Amino acid sequence: MSEPAVAVHSLTKVFPIPFRRTKLVAVRGLNLEVAPGQVYGLLGPNGSGKSTTLKIILGLVTATTGTAKIFGRDSREVRSREAVGFLPENPYFYKYLTGEETLRFFGKLCGLHGRRLQARCDELLALVSLEEARDRRLGGYSKGMLQRIGLAQALIQEPRLVVLDEPTAGVDPAGSREIRDLILDLKRRGITVLLSSHLLAQVQEICDRVGILAHGVLVREGQVEELLAIENQTELILENATPEILVQITDLLAKSNTRLVEQRQPQTTLEGLFLEATKPGRAE
Amino acid sequence: MPETRHRPFSPARIAAITSNTFTELVRLKVFYFLLIFALLLIANSVFMARLSFQQEFQVLKDVSLGAMSIFTSLLAIVATAQLLPRDLEDRTIYTILAKPVPRYEYLIGKLAGVLLLLGLSILAMSAVFLAVLFVREEMLVKETLRQSAGLRPEQVQEALRGLKGSAFNANLFPGIVIIYLKASLLAALTLFISTFATSNIFTIVVMVFIYFIGHLQATAREYWLQEHGAGWLAKTFLAVVALAFPDLQLFNLVDDIVAGTAIPTGLFLQTVVLGCVYTSIYLFFAWVAFHGREL
Repeated sequence: MSEPAVAVHSLTKVFPIPFRRTKLVAVRGLNLEVAPGQVYGLLGPNGSGKSTTLKIILGLVTATTGTAKIFGRDSREVRSREAVGFLPENPYFYKYLTGEETLRFFGKLCGLHGRRLQARCDELLALVSLEEARDRRLGGYSKGMLQRIGLAQALIQEPRLVVLDEPTAGVDPAGSREIRDLILDLKRRGITVLLSSHLLAQVQEICDRVGILAHGVLVREGQVEELLAIENQTELILENATPEILVQITDLLAKSNTRLVEQRQPQTTLEGLFLEATKPGRAE
Repeated sequence: MPETRHRPFSPARIAAITSNTFTELVRLKVFYFLLIFALLLIANSVFMARLSFQQEFQVLKDVSLGAMSIFTSLLAIVATAQLLPRDLEDRTIYTILAKPVPRYEYLIGKLAGVLLLLGLSILAMSAVFLAVLFVREEMLVKETLRQSAGLRPEQVQEALRGLKGSAFNANLFPGIVIIYLKASLLAALTLFISTFATSNIFTIVVMVFIYFIGHLQATAREYWLQEHGAGWLAKTFLAVVALAFPDLQLFNLVDDIVAGTAIPTGLFLQTVVLGCVYTSIYLFFAWVAFHGREL
């Protein structure tokens, strides 16, 4: 079995509150695995511990107890970040740099230089459709453009894992769709994506697997289809069904010539599941 | 991406952060400081025209080197104080440290960016200073030649030698190097304070205090030792004070230079080593405070 892209084991993060005796438990005994090539969505209300978890995975914050590994390497090691690209929530880059200069700066931090760096910059500017804005300073970029240049810098060293913190926050529906398409493109290329988001419909559309955090606890986790299935219901999809057949359907189903096209369990929405899983008192 | 060997220390990564920091500071228009310096010098040379040439050159060197020292120190503190808080506030630090960049490289790169700015600033200020000195010297040479029309050639040569000797001497260069080193150590200390400070105003205020204590501590120490003797407790206390607050008076050789006294090579090298050691220690302290900081 191949090494998980992300493996989080018994992770707890406690923040002491200055001048008070109390402590804030941001993440509590979290276990999480993201398989290579998967798109994993981390969901949860504000303050549920999503960003803290992502920061621990990126080595920006140290876990109180437990471990976080990236492709088998401890996330506290600087070297583990060679395989990771990160787009923070509402990224603010250096406003005085142009789009291309921004990519060149982050490329150099990843050890790229010369023609290889130039080729990578050209390729990524084309990928995020910012070729025409390459010489414009970031101070003049729109929110959607900043998000796209942010995604491009996250991909500069061709990482195997991309971590996106609220990638579509504050972006208009069209920009949001562009980012969704880029994430799906990453998935097609076999790049693992770990993202946190509030846009549940979009998460449902692009994620293979989701985990729902509430009060620092992982309250639900699994394949999107499995989580959304309602076990005590059956969904019938009928073709050419007349009103009479619909009335008698439960009795006649076996005898009628109505074709049973598909028989599967109907699904709720991810939003319904999210709200139910994170309602107050659920995690205690 | 093909697996590359991660280098725990990469000059290329540091250079990228250095050049970015330098660009950031240049765009913040800190070079306006230099404009003020140039204007001050020109105004000074105009007002000094009524003094004798020895007095004029002495005042010009005193004011210029003093202004260079204050401007570079101020520039070092103000420019460094806002680097870390700005990166934290704008969250650019997340994107940088989420790359394979060790935190010590980030700090070295930031400090090197400030040192580059200070270096270029001091070069520019030195150029203005030497240009003003040269122009005044040329003007006075012409004036002396005009006034000494009836004198013997030996007397004229003597007057010109005296004039040139009081205008320029080679001690100016070690003096400028020491001013740079003082600004460097102040930048490193500011970086250290900013790793745990809550705001850049706090950092600047603390640094202004340290600046004054640093200049006054030598006098205070001498007074203390004279009054109370040198017991082991007093010596330990003074050593701790000397580490926490750099003895900036050791970097104050302007008076000697202005007086035309030659700076002994030994004293110069000792001061250079002291400046480098102080800068390295404060950079190390900055790393100790920053490497485990939660971002």
